[in-house]
Amino acid sequence: MFEERTGKDTADITMAIFRLGIVVTFVVMVARMFDLQVLQAGRYAALANQNRLLRIESPAPRGVIYDRNGTILVRNRPSFEVALVPEDLPTDTLESEEVDEEAVEIEKILRILQADRDSEVALRMAEILFNKLGYDDFIRTVEAVNVQVSYLDDPAFVTPVTDGGRMVMAAPLEVYLPDLDKVLPLEGLVALVKRTVAIQSMGSASDPVPILDGVDRIRAFEISEDSFRIPAVRVTQVPVREYLYGDLLSHVLGFLGPIPAFAAETYRQSGYNNPNERVGLNGLEYTYQTELRGTPGVRYSERNILGIDVRTIGPEVEPVPGWNLHLTIDWRLQSIMRAALQAKMEEVGAPWAVTVAMNPQSGEILGMVSLPSYDNNIFAERIGEEYLLLEQDERRPLINYAIGGLYPPGSVFKMVTSLAGLAEGVITPETLVVDAGPIYLPNRYFPNDLTQAQKFVSWNHKNGVVHGRINVESALALSNDIFFYYLGGGYLEEFVGLGHVLLSKWTELFGFGEKTGIDLPGEVTSLVPTDQWKRQLFAEPWTTGDSYNMAIGQGYVLATPLQVLVETAALANGGTLYVPKVVHHMTDANGGVQRDFQPEVKRQLPVDPEDIEVVRRGMWDVVNASYGTGQVARVAGVEVAGKTGTAEFCEYLPEKSDCRRDEKEFLPFHSWFSAFAPYDNPEIAVVTFVYDGGEGSAVAAPITQKILEGYFTEIAPRPQPVATEP
Amino acid sequence: MLTRIYWRHFDWLLLGVVLLLCGVGVAVIYSATRNSPDLVDYWQRQINFIGIGLVALFAVALFDYRQLSLLAVPAFLAFILSLILVYLFGDAQGGSRSWISVGGTLVQPTEAGKFLLIIFLAWYLSGRRESIHRLPYLLAALVLLLAPLVLVYIQPDFGMTITYAFMGGTLILSAGIRYQHLLLLLGGALLAIPVLAASLQGYMLARVCIFLPTGEDGQIVAPLLNFLRAVFNALPSECLQPAANTAASYNVDQALIAVGNGGLTGMGWTQGTQNQLLFLRVRHTDFIFSVIAEELGMVGAALILLFLLFVVWRILRIAAQAPDPFGRLLAVGIAALIFFQIVINVGMNLKLMPVTGLTLPFISYGGSSLVSMLFAIGLAESVSMRQRRINAY
Repeated sequence: MFEERTGKDTADITMAIFRLGIVVTFVVMVARMFDLQVLQAGRYAALANQNRLLRIESPAPRGVIYDRNGTILVRNRPSFEVALVPEDLPTDTLESEEVDEEAVEIEKILRILQADRDSEVALRMAEILFNKLGYDDFIRTVEAVNVQVSYLDDPAFVTPVTDGGRMVMAAPLEVYLPDLDKVLPLEGLVALVKRTVAIQSMGSASDPVPILDGVDRIRAFEISEDSFRIPAVRVTQVPVREYLYGDLLSHVLGFLGPIPAFAAETYRQSGYNNPNERVGLNGLEYTYQTELRGTPGVRYSERNILGIDVRTIGPEVEPVPGWNLHLTIDWRLQSIMRAALQAKMEEVGAPWAVTVAMNPQSGEILGMVSLPSYDNNIFAERIGEEYLLLEQDERRPLINYAIGGLYPPGSVFKMVTSLAGLAEGVITPETLVVDAGPIYLPNRYFPNDLTQAQKFVSWNHKNGVVHGRINVESALALSNDIFFYYLGGGYLEEFVGLGHVLLSKWTELFGFGEKTGIDLPGEVTSLVPTDQWKRQLFAEPWTTGDSYNMAIGQGYVLATPLQVLVETAALANGGTLYVPKVVHHMTDANGGVQRDFQPEVKRQLPVDPEDIEVVRRGMWDVVNASYGTGQVARVAGVEVAGKTGTAEFCEYLPEKSDCRRDEKEFLPFHSWFSAFAPYDNPEIAVVTFVYDGGEGSAVAAPITQKILEGYFTEIAPRPQPVATEP
Repeated sequence: MLTRIYWRHFDWLLLGVVLLLCGVGVAVIYSATRNSPDLVDYWQRQINFIGIGLVALFAVALFDYRQLSLLAVPAFLAFILSLILVYLFGDAQGGSRSWISVGGTLVQPTEAGKFLLIIFLAWYLSGRRESIHRLPYLLAALVLLLAPLVLVYIQPDFGMTITYAFMGGTLILSAGIRYQHLLLLLGGALLAIPVLAASLQGYMLARVCIFLPTGEDGQIVAPLLNFLRAVFNALPSECLQPAANTAASYNVDQALIAVGNGGLTGMGWTQGTQNQLLFLRVRHTDFIFSVIAEELGMVGAALILLFLLFVVWRILRIAAQAPDPFGRLLAVGIAALIFFQIVINVGMNLKLMPVTGLTLPFISYGGSSLVSMLFAIGLAESVSMRQRRINAY
């Protein structure tokens, strides 16, 4: 019986093991809980938070941009975007098999948005949906509801980059793109919206799907009023940049656009979490992107497994508005400069032209015009066809030629040669050179054969004029080339010139060959030509003829208009090279100054003030002497000094295998004029450049005169007229 | 007086702890289902099930368990028959053909079968004096156990199969078999491994694999993987690249996050984010322990586990005091059943055991599960009330 157990079987030990098992189970499981809930609690809490919390950034208002007098140049204008929230759309119930409730609701919404009547709305919507869905899905969706897609007549060529995730290098495919300028019938749009919403709700049904943007305030208000009928619709305000003066300042201000693909990673690492954020792509919007952007606000949205918002969780970080920029530019002067430049440019039919003004005592840019220009407002909401048109325009209006174009400076470079000669003791103010007509450099291999010699002329020889005995001051005033040939390269045994080493040295000292450092993107520079440079590039040694050309700003010397302006300003202020600046100071949203203006000296020219004064006298003569080449630049009541420049350039024509030349076989000219005023205590330095404009005195000088005249009458009028005696 | 003696030996402490666990279950089910519109009234339903279960508990307790020995053989035959019927005509639910429609409602014969198997084996093993020490008798017991085991295994219901195996094994061992027979059985079991392996369903292997430890490369650690490769000819993808198959391991991973997220003291009742935001799946049944761990913390979860194991302990105590071998084995079988479900379910929630779909006794939502558990407690109480010796608690 029960009590008569023999102990030879497993009965008692099984019960003991069972009891032990209970204890061991408890110990093991509590140990496991301790591991999970105490030792690893932090890791699992983080995973749980990752499950439920979605970080939502609210962008900070972008900084506003003012000119130097406080005139608003750029501000933020509200634009409205219409989006649908998938979870608020009715779902297709199974009871009513015939009716698709979701499609009915979407159609109702599209009618309220006037997609059936307003072709612009329909087109824009189709474009947004096309960009969301992509080529295949778009066409499949539209054709699934028996709506015909119209295609563009010409195929586009698309190079496939990936094929099922693998990189491939295949030949471009011919693809017929749908013609988005043809209005889609309403049922097509309904199908597209339904498809887009379906794709979006795979991610989160709470996230609004944008279906229309660029809605103006009145329409947005009307749509909002209808919202009780269409609960799924959200109208959100999207700030859009508004450039009040459009193409007047577009090169300086720039524009915003989507983060470029190549920089996406860099932006992401610097805290740009929203890949759709618009960033500065050009101009100040680019340079001061970080300052203008401010700091986005942060909140967390708690979401359940279906992606539905449950609540918002703090701590909420308030967005910090971006800093406001206060420019050195005076928009009134900018307007004057633009008007003057535009009028003359159209008169001579030049393709592009530049004028830049600067305070020579500090480097503050007062105005900067590069023509042709463009209206940056067209990129305010999106970068589309207009951008492509601008990019394809032969005159390339997107380029700021003031900093992005390299040209032979011509005679405006002669001050560099002059000062180099004086400072290096090659000449004195009294050194005379005789212009008796063209000079010849003997061919080094046939020194006695005059027909093989190289001929060098001065511009005046074309008119049958020789200038006779001239010193440096009158050479500048007359812009005589013979004097500078002598000075730059010497002449036979008669005259010892600077030579290429000293020429290069002073060209560099004046800042050519390095970027000026202006706070705008897209600045270019060329190298200062040297013997070594020429040997490397052309496998030829530097010749005296090269020095001649360089001395008059031709040949291998290239400069941007801004580099010439920095040169001019250094002469105006007595020898200081400033870094040009467009932003004067920055303020935060409360008006507190965050970064104040500090003039930045790049270099002090190592020269005697008297030497500079000689060159300045020469520039004074250019405008004020009876024989000066730039007399047209005189301004009543102000002493102007300046220098004309007429720079030959070669526009290579492949069909002629030669440069473009006129009927007399002369090369075309760029027109330059650099000036500063008033002579004694300069407030403004201006450089004007007209591409293929002709003579400096005829084109660039009168433009500069108009600018200076405008400056001294409208912006900084002189208290009393001052006599203009030499 | 007969009645007085009965109630004197009724284990009120056991009932109290069981009711406490049922109450905790209702509260946790409320927390787990309040955000699911389809399930919001489940906590009320569970209260109804507790009511039904308590009626069953007392009815069974009052019933003299010794009468059950008369039922043993016909009940067992009926059980086997129902399993065959289910195999032929049953409805598939969740991948296994284990439900059969009786007058319009679906029932799972395996749920009641647990008790029929306990009663039958307890009857068989206690039937003749020391007859279990004879090998033919022992082998017959094994065959009788294997019959329902195989029928459940081919449904396929992996969880129930191993539950039956554990219960049957515990009963046979605690009935007392000779040690030389034990060695013989172990040897036989080793030989049976290839047969088992050949018939193991792919999804069962997959469930085992997602639970196996993985190395740095996301692969199951080499010795285990090599063993699996050697034994099975075709491994499911979960075994070859478990990390890649997140869908299969999603429920377990979310449960583990919920447990860890609870920390020492928990996020508070109805405050667990994994539970409330529905990241935790089947949270009112299979993964209800994760809800407890998340909302009540390690302290609450350990306490609940302690109460659950106390119930098992208490039933073993009843077994030790049972008046006859039949009552003793009955109580041991019930203790084994409850203990096994606790270990498997809590182990699954803590990722110590593979996923089997076994519920947590007294706490998980579910009518048949809860009523059958309370029925089991009633059976144990029935044994307790008829104990011969009077013991102080």
